[in-house]
Amino acid sequence: MNTASLPVELIRTLSMTLVITSVLAVETRRLRLSAAAYAAQALLIVALLASFARVNPSLYWWAATALVTKAILIPWFLFRYIDRTQPVEVPPFVGFGPSVVVAALLMIGFFRLTHMHVELLAPAGLAREEVFRTNLAVAATVFVLGLYALLTRRDAIKTVIGLCLLENGVHLSLVSLAPDLSETALFGVASEVVVTVFLLLYVIRGVYREFGTTDTLRLKELQW
Amino acid sequence: MVSIQAAAAVPAAGVTSLLPPAVFLLPIVAGFVILAGGRRHHGFCKTVALLTALAVAGMAGWMAWLVVGGTVPSLPGRGLVLSAWRDELRVDALSALVMLVIGVVGLFATLYSAKYLEHQPLLDRVGVGRAERRIAIFYALLVWFLGTMSWAAVTNNIVMLYVAVEATTLTSGLLVAFFWDRRALEAGYKYLMLLTVGITFALFGCVVIYAAGAATGRLTGGEALLISRVREVAGLIPQRSALVGVSLLIVGFGMKAGLAPFHPWLPDAHAEAPTPVSVLLSGVMINVALYALARTVSIFFPVLPQLTVFLVALGAFSMLLGAVMALVQDDLKRLLAYSSVSQMGYVLAGIALGTYLGAFGGLFHLLNHALIKALLFMAAGAVIYATGIRRVSGLGGLASRMPVTSACFIVGALAIAGFPPFNGFMSKLTVYLALADTGLWWAVGVAVFTSLVTLVAFIRPAIRVFWAAPAPGQPALAATREVPAALWAPMVVLAAVCLLLGVAPGLAYGLLDRAAVLIATVGG
Repeated sequence: MNTASLPVELIRTLSMTLVITSVLAVETRRLRLSAAAYAAQALLIVALLASFARVNPSLYWWAATALVTKAILIPWFLFRYIDRTQPVEVPPFVGFGPSVVVAALLMIGFFRLTHMHVELLAPAGLAREEVFRTNLAVAATVFVLGLYALLTRRDAIKTVIGLCLLENGVHLSLVSLAPDLSETALFGVASEVVVTVFLLLYVIRGVYREFGTTDTLRLKELQW
Repeated sequence: MVSIQAAAAVPAAGVTSLLPPAVFLLPIVAGFVILAGGRRHHGFCKTVALLTALAVAGMAGWMAWLVVGGTVPSLPGRGLVLSAWRDELRVDALSALVMLVIGVVGLFATLYSAKYLEHQPLLDRVGVGRAERRIAIFYALLVWFLGTMSWAAVTNNIVMLYVAVEATTLTSGLLVAFFWDRRALEAGYKYLMLLTVGITFALFGCVVIYAAGAATGRLTGGEALLISRVREVAGLIPQRSALVGVSLLIVGFGMKAGLAPFHPWLPDAHAEAPTPVSVLLSGVMINVALYALARTVSIFFPVLPQLTVFLVALGAFSMLLGAVMALVQDDLKRLLAYSSVSQMGYVLAGIALGTYLGAFGGLFHLLNHALIKALLFMAAGAVIYATGIRRVSGLGGLASRMPVTSACFIVGALAIAGFPPFNGFMSKLTVYLALADTGLWWAVGVAVFTSLVTLVAFIRPAIRVFWAAPAPGQPALAATREVPAALWAPMVVLAAVCLLLGVAPGLAYGLLDRAAVLIATVGG
């Protein structure tokens, strides 16, 4: 695989913007905006996959799958269910300021990790090359930001967006870690996220009808 | 190391068979048939679901028989391996054991739901209008749940293993929330959210292991996806990569298996789901997750010797926490759910040793726990069916009114506490011996102590529910009658099997022996 022909600068720019959309998706209080940030991120992922596809044509297939699942179906479900529940997020545990600090620290940390100790995560030859390391660092940052959103947000819809970020992080890492993944496996991985998000939103809609809120802290029927 | 290299020298001794794809594709097709044809014909839904469950059980039995009975000259004593789709699907003794659990418990759960879903108070709880539509969906999801679990058991592709395990969450998510009231919705949300987050870690782990396998240079990209091939090169994978991958897998599959401290979804989901679904969740699904854990992590026991103590400690923690939490429950189904957390700890502690004896004991307990917990959930479900009460403190004096149910519950309670002559005693004893054999005496202590706690946790509520005077203010209890035969017959059969495997454990040795060899990667 000749990696010299990769548009390195473009990939870097896309990667950085990707992290910004993650922070936006986590931080925006208005859920429609948050979902829009997620959709923007999905489009960036499609663009990233297409850029990498220059050296690995099987990624074109994957970019198309990501376009349908991440950029069209999931945002559509999100918008649909946000309209049927509440438009503004239930206030989170941790505010905007600390979140930005957390995101910055994560980014720096993962860049250092992937550039100095990449063998820890990926002994693969490909992952040792420059843009693929950047990709891994971004993937890990998005993953942990998703986890952060899941831990600090009370709003059920926001936790779904956090889950989507978590999945995006893992899927991005596949570019560096598993470039030869078969189409069936890819299709399985991608379609499952769509079904998960749909089912979760469907259940959250039920929760909203029964409890009158999407605040997960109010889910207290079952204790111990 | 020597044995790994020797195994690599022998070509995969598989026989191509149609059974592995059939066993999971049939239920998936059947689910669509139910949805297409059964919206107004409940009898049709029930019949298709029952026939499917019967076919899965039959195929599982057939595969187990082939795996135990067949021999291959190049691998003496290891039995036959059924493979399909260029080794993408692969059924060895370990898969066959899990398939057998899925088939048998799945069949009983489907039989049980046939009568359970005709119960009027239950339909009232769902709201009759909605229930009409939902019964077809219930059966479709039930057979899909069976199908996805079978898929997880037969796949040999590490990424597809993730896909299949996540698919079991998706097919069962709406079953957990079936009643669609506050409790069920809360349980459903937690179930879907926590398990998906957990399993995403497992995906990361699968990918890291795949990348590490491919990086050894011995396998092509396609081959490195096959667990059976990665196993051959495990010794060449750098220790640190293996550790990262294995840690992620332990979090991911461990959460799905309900191991403490990743268990908080389990008591909610298992208790709030309709009883036949609880039977499948507690009796089968968490076992499938533990199978996925054993299948992937056991590869690395020789590379990461420190894993053993860590996993045994995790198992011991799970045992103790589950049993203590079971002790303080007043809700019959939550009591059983916490006990599952505890029993999974035994299975993990056995398997994690990596020795033959440990693997044997762990797998034997996996089989026994599936049977016992299915029995106990059915018995608890029968009590709730007959009385409409779930709280132990609200029940009493049922032994004379529900003799069959009470006898079955007592058999299950004694079996799960590891009381002779039941099957739980034999498998727990094997786990104790295996732990002692490795010198982990503290773990033996925890395991034996936990068994005593379990005995108290089960016998106390059993006495309350079946023999103590009925709680004041519950006049309805006096009119309680034994549940219909369609509900107690599966319980009686399971109770008989529990006793049979306790008295004659040799019946399961053939399959267990071959399965244990597969994950006993440490020592002789």
